[in-house]
Amino acid sequence: MDTVMEVTVYGSGASDAAEEAERAIRRLEELWSVTREDSEISRLNRGETVELSEETANLLQKGLRLSEETGGALNLALYPLTRLWGFTTEEYRVPSREEIDALLDRLRSGSLSLEDNRASLSSWELDFGAVAKGYAAQLSADMLKERGVTSALLTLGGNVQTVGNKEDGSLWRIGVRDPWGEEGDYLGVLLVGEAAVVTSGAYQRYFEEDGVRYGHILDPETGRPVESGLASVTIVAEDGFLADGLSTALYVMGLEEATEFFRGRDDFEAVLVDDAGTIYVTEGLRDSFECSQFQVIER
Amino acid sequence: MIKTKYWISLFLLLLALSALAATLLLRDGHGNGTAAVLSEGEEVCTVDLSRDQTFTVKASGGVNIIVVEDGAIRVESATCPDQICVQRGACSEGAPIVCLPNRLVIQFPENAGIDASTG
Repeated sequence: MDTVMEVTVYGSGASDAAEEAERAIRRLEELWSVTREDSEISRLNRGETVELSEETANLLQKGLRLSEETGGALNLALYPLTRLWGFTTEEYRVPSREEIDALLDRLRSGSLSLEDNRASLSSWELDFGAVAKGYAAQLSADMLKERGVTSALLTLGGNVQTVGNKEDGSLWRIGVRDPWGEEGDYLGVLLVGEAAVVTSGAYQRYFEEDGVRYGHILDPETGRPVESGLASVTIVAEDGFLADGLSTALYVMGLEEATEFFRGRDDFEAVLVDDAGTIYVTEGLRDSFECSQFQVIER
Repeated sequence: MIKTKYWISLFLLLLALSALAATLLLRDGHGNGTAAVLSEGEEVCTVDLSRDQTFTVKASGGVNIIVVEDGAIRVESATCPDQICVQRGACSEGAPIVCLPNRLVIQFPENAGIDASTG
C-alpha cells in the first residue's frame, strides 16, 4: 500500500482524530505489507505458522468468504502470479504458458489453515492488495465514529471512505476517474452520504510489450491480466472492505457476470465502464450519478 | 443642513471604499486564475496566477520549486525520481499537477466542485 493518504475530519478535536486515524492506517499497512519482511503476511508467505493479530485474522476470514461469494473472482493467493508478471518489482515481463500453468497448479492445490488466530499456508502466498486499503479505511472510519466524529473524508490511494455527510449536511461529491483520462479527469460525479467508493481498473497500473497492454489485475482462472471487456468498475457500499474487494471481483467477472452478481445482492451499487466507453450504472445510483449519459442496470 | 450633507457624503465615500476593498480581497484566491498548492494533504497556499513568483515547497518526501509566470504555474524542478510533475509543464486549469513521491498537489478551482475522487 504505498499510497497517498488523506484524512480530513470536521468538527471539534478534528486534527487529533485525523492524526490518530492516519496512525491507525499506517499500522495496518505495516501488518499487511507484502514488501515488509517482518509483516504478518510476509511471515505467513515464508511458510511460518503465525499468531495473527485480530485485524489480520478478520481480514483473512472476510477475504476468504468474499472470495467464495464471488465464485473465486476475488482471490487473495495470487501473489506468486503477480510476482511472475513483475508487478511487485516493476520489472515487468510476459511469462511463458508453462510458468503460468505451474503457478496455477500451485494455486489450486494450495490451502490455508486458520484456527483461532493461528494461521499457516501450504503452497499459497497471500497478497491483500485487493482488500487491504478498503479494510484499513473502514477500520479507521469506525474508529473516528467511535470518537464521536460525525463528518470525515478519508482517501487512501484511490479508495474513498466517508463518515456521515458533509459538515453542512449535504452529500459528498466523489469524482469517478476517467479510465482514459489524466489524473483529475472525471467520467462523472457520485453523490454519496456515509459510504465507501472504490474503483478498480487496469489503467491504474500496467505495462506494454509489443503493443499489448498488460494490466495489474490478474484473472485467477487464466493467471493472466484480466480481459473482461471492462475498463473500470466503481463500487459504492456501506463497507470499505466490501467495496474494495468487489471492485476487483466485478472487474474480473466482466459486465454480464457482474450484472448477474449484482442482481443477487443488496449490499452495493456500481458504475461499470466497458472498453468502448459505455457507462453502466446500477439502479440505486440512477439519481446520484451526475454524468452526461449512461445506461441503467435494473435490479 | 450642510453638516448633514457632509456626513452623508463621508458615509457614501466610506461605503464605496469598503466595497472596493471587499471586491479586491475576495477576488484574491477565490476567483479564476488561482491555484491551490497542497503538500502532504495540507493546503500550503492559494496562488494568484497573475502575479509572477517563485517559491519552494519542502516536504518529508522531497523538495519542489514552483514558478508562476505568464498566468500559469509549473514545477520548475523537483527532487522526485520520476520528474512527472516537471514534465507536466505550465498549467492554469484542468487536471491537477501531482508529484506523487513528494506528495505535492497543485489544483485549479475547476476541481473545487468535487470533495474527492476515486483512483
